[in-house]
Amino acid sequence: MKILVIASAKNGQINANLANVLTAASKIHAKCDVLVIGSADLTSLSKLACVNKLLHLSSIADEQNLASFIASIVANIAKNYTHVLTAADSYGKDLLPRVAGILDLSQVSEVVAIVSPNIFKKPMYAGNVLAEVESFEDTKLLTVRATSFTPYTALAEEAAVEVLSNSAEINPNISHLGETVIHSETIDLSHAQIIVTGGHSLGSKENFVELIHGLAVKLDGAVGASRAAVEAGYASNDCQVGQTGKVVAPKLYLAIGISGAVQHIAGMKDSQQVIAINIDPNAQIFEYADYGLVGDLFEIVPELINQL
Amino acid sequence: MKVLVCAKRVVDPNVKVRVKADHSNVDIEHSKMSLNPFDENAIEAAVRLKEQGLVSEVLVVSIGGAKCEETLRTALARGCDRAILLETLENYEPINIAKILQAIVIKEQPQLVLLGKQAIDDDANQVAQMLAGKLNFPQATFVSDLSLSGTTLTVSREMDGGTQQLELTLPAVVSADLSLNEPRFIKLPQLMQAKKKPIEKITLSELGLTLTPRTRIISVIDGEVKKHCTLVKTSAELINLLNKAKGQ
Repeated sequence: MKILVIASAKNGQINANLANVLTAASKIHAKCDVLVIGSADLTSLSKLACVNKLLHLSSIADEQNLASFIASIVANIAKNYTHVLTAADSYGKDLLPRVAGILDLSQVSEVVAIVSPNIFKKPMYAGNVLAEVESFEDTKLLTVRATSFTPYTALAEEAAVEVLSNSAEINPNISHLGETVIHSETIDLSHAQIIVTGGHSLGSKENFVELIHGLAVKLDGAVGASRAAVEAGYASNDCQVGQTGKVVAPKLYLAIGISGAVQHIAGMKDSQQVIAINIDPNAQIFEYADYGLVGDLFEIVPELINQL
Repeated sequence: MKVLVCAKRVVDPNVKVRVKADHSNVDIEHSKMSLNPFDENAIEAAVRLKEQGLVSEVLVVSIGGAKCEETLRTALARGCDRAILLETLENYEPINIAKILQAIVIKEQPQLVLLGKQAIDDDANQVAQMLAGKLNFPQATFVSDLSLSGTTLTVSREMDGGTQQLELTLPAVVSADLSLNEPRFIKLPQLMQAKKKPIEKITLSELGLTLTPRTRIISVIDGEVKKHCTLVKTSAELINLLNKAKGQ
């Protein structure tokens, strides 16, 4: 078996969920090669025990690191492996299926467990169903749900780095105009230990900022939002937790004014502890919560902010 | 200029699916079915381009059983001009759907392929990217904003930590996020008009394709994790719980 893990670098930083993908890879085979796309310092990565060899596409600039430019290079490398894994984040979800299309291979998305080298578990129907899927491909392409695997940490001798000289295949039919990065005063949702999430019932952006951001800051947590809250403009799209947003699994998930639609539950049900505040005692969110308080969030949350 | 969109018939997003007793798959035979919500966004975007006079025809494709005709009628009522139904009893996986669409794109020559970013049944999020890779068209996935000027398409796409702006020269493949637009409500006259619009039925062999399964579902289990919720009475009790969690 030959395993390839794809990592991406941006602003000189390798994607933080790579360590989780390496754990998934190590459940298939003890060693893997890691392809890093973009410029970054690979020293700490090279010391991980599961890393056999590092392949570094170091000359790809951030604005060239687009699926349309690099998928054919990745496809040429990927076809020599039995398994190719990458994180099911916005980068991996964009890139790997294009590679699959080029190589005419199927892909298993959002893998949450490795059953055997051929069999994987993945959620369907917004996580209401967990399927065991067998792949018949010679090269199995997998995107991995990072929150389902712990970060890989075991160390060993430094692995060799092979610098690949390929430059991006610049397709004149696409160009990168720019990026708008959302700066938040709170920490990143994907890696947060505590997440405070607000729903549509916050009523306005001002309330959302005052109450949800306010409480998140007090708890050293990150801010999440339901799709309805994002659509109402209370929070940025980046904060959305759910089937079509981010999947999170923090130690504590605080759901405030969240009704608990299945699409939202899909994004947070693996949280270790869930606390819900809702005015409706029949709100579905209470079925997925460890603790609940039935009451008016506009009275309760300010009390929490004042007393924490 | 022609735009190609798709209409996948899926279980209605408000239906709670159940696993079959033998765990072979989900039991959806009697469930309410709908047009995949992300496909609604893609169709809406295509129809708006037509209403702006930038596109001459919106062609909608569905792949599946005879009942997909209902799904296509919905898409036609939403403003698509013409439909193709690839009739099959097979439930093709994304790579095979991409191959079917590739054959249709080669035949129909649309300049823009606008697809939903994922279907809410298998949640795969693959077809648009696979199709773009096969056709060697530039791709823009998870698009939340788009504007067309001649053959230049400018998009904003959702990514972790923000948005990315890209400029693409057609032909191109785009996948729609829910934030792209608010799909319109269909009114009765539009439903009546849709009945008069043509639906062409084609088969796999007419496209010259033979497809083989690459994966199989061995079993499915209920993925739900309901908990026993302890209700607390006061904010003070919650503060205790939160202080405990914060201290860990």
